[in-house]
Formats: sequence, C-alpha cells, structure tokens
Amino acid sequence: MLRAIVSLFVVSLALGATACSAAQTDHASAGSAKVIVLDDNASQLRDDFNRAKGSVRLLLIVDPICPTCLRGLADVDASLLSKTHDTRVQTFVVHMPVIGAKATDVSPAAELLHNPNVHNYWNASGNFGRLAGNALQLRQGDKTVYAWDVWIVYGPDAVWQSGPPTPDLLMHQLPTLPAKQFLDADAFAAKAQALLNHLPARAKAN
Amino acid sequence: MGTLAAVLGTCCVAPWAVGLVGVSGAVTLARLARWQPWFLIVAAVMLAMAFYWAYRPAPVCADGSCETTSRRRLRWFVWIAALVVAALGVAALNPLLLYHIH
Repeated sequence: MLRAIVSLFVVSLALGATACSAAQTDHASAGSAKVIVLDDNASQLRDDFNRAKGSVRLLLIVDPICPTCLRGLADVDASLLSKTHDTRVQTFVVHMPVIGAKATDVSPAAELLHNPNVHNYWNASGNFGRLAGNALQLRQGDKTVYAWDVWIVYGPDAVWQSGPPTPDLLMHQLPTLPAKQFLDADAFAAKAQALLNHLPARAKAN
Repeated sequence: MGTLAAVLGTCCVAPWAVGLVGVSGAVTLARLARWQPWFLIVAAVMLAMAFYWAYRPAPVCADGSCETTSRRRLRWFVWIAALVVAALGVAALNPLLLYHIH
C-alpha cells in the first residue's frame, strides 16, 4: 500500500515537473509581442484607437494570469483573430494586474492571439479598470463594476474621448454582470464580422 | 487515493495555474472549469475511500500471522490531502477569496 502511495506521489511530482517545464517553455518562447506601457489616462490607447477610426475595433481587458481571461483570448483567437488578418480589424488588449500579474506575464498571454493587428498594453496600476468601468457604465445595482475580463466590439465610427466609447457589443466573464452578456466567442466573432462586412474594402498598398 | 483526490481537485481557475502549468495549461484548466463540481465530488468520494482505508479496523488473526503495518504515514497523507482538497473546494466555490480586486 505504501509503495502504491509513493508511486502515485512520484508520478504526481513528475507531472508537476513536466507542467513546470511547460510553464518555463511558455515564458522562454514568449517575449516577442510588443507591449506598450499604458498611463492611467490611457492616452496611448486613446490615440491608437482613434487613429484606427474607420476600422472595426476590438477592446479586450484582461489579466494575463487569469485562466478564464486566457481561455477567452484563446476562444476569440480561434473564432476570429486567427482566421482574419484583415487590417480593417484592429484589436487592443489591455493587460492589468487584477489578480497579481506582472509585466513579464503579458507576452506569454499575448502569444495566444495569432494576428498581426493586435496591440498589447500593460497598465501597471490597474486604474484602467476603474476608468473603463465608469465610462462603460458597468453596474451591479448602484455600484460601478471594475472592468476586467471584458470583451468589446466597436464599429468604425466610435471615437474615444475621455474613456472607452459606448460599444456595439459588450461581453464579459464576470459573475457580477448579467449572464446574458457572458462571452460567447462565436457571437463575438459574428458581430465583428457583420460590422466588417459593411466596411468598404481598403485599397491595396502599392 | 488521497493524493489522487488532491490532484483531481486541482482543476480550478486559480491565478497560480499559469505559473504551474503555463498559459496553454491554464487555458485547458479554464476549459475544464465547468466540470469542477464533478471533480470535487469525485475527490470527496476518493477521500472518503482513503479515510476508510487508513482507519479501517486492522485484521486480527488468532495465530498472529496477519501483517501488522503502521498506517500512521498513510493517515498523515490522507489528512494532508483532505486539507488541500478542502482548501481548493472553498476557493473553487468562491474565487473572490483568491484575490482582492481593486
């Protein structure tokens, strides 16, 4: 009996060691994504967002070590971003340390999105979540909900002024917001695609 | 069995998942999250079996030929596994205990 327990323990340790080496591989192979450090006013994001006016824009707000957020990134990648590299779809991902992430965690998470039109930002203070929660009027009763694990689609006319504008589609993976808006990656992709279909095709670059 | 129960109960959405199993592993764990209650039930059943095995009455043989091995280490393992599974269960049912949101 004791031999069986020890064997199981050794197997568990081996699995753990394999998992840890996989984790280290994730970190070792990551680091190629460009990450912009975001100030508390999100001025760089605002400028980039408005510069992309005329495109369908996605705003994803995540913590890069939140497994649920990571699953969301993987699902959105599978349903949309890996399938279309159209420059008329621009994606802005804001990474924040909601549950303890560090700046070094951003690149491995960014690698989940296989699309050249993705812009990654790191907001070390996490204040962007408050800014976005207020601007997007995320509420639970009369209390403003901190915006994270939020997935937003904007049409071509949206303009960012003091905060994220009113979205065309907002989804989330939070227990504090309505369940009917829970992230459905296929529906998210369908909305983005529907907006994209109404855009004029861009002239090809010479 | 207690160890296996603790491993099964580790399917969770904890922030340390990325550090343990990497981004890809954390995504997989998050996809398994909807099965979490079932994993916890199986873990509880296996723990119950482990406790029974650790504390079942020792066989008594009149001629003393029955093997008498100490179960003290086994009982330690089972209790440690029980504490780990209980902690994971509490955390799984209330993720907000794991972290403080701004």
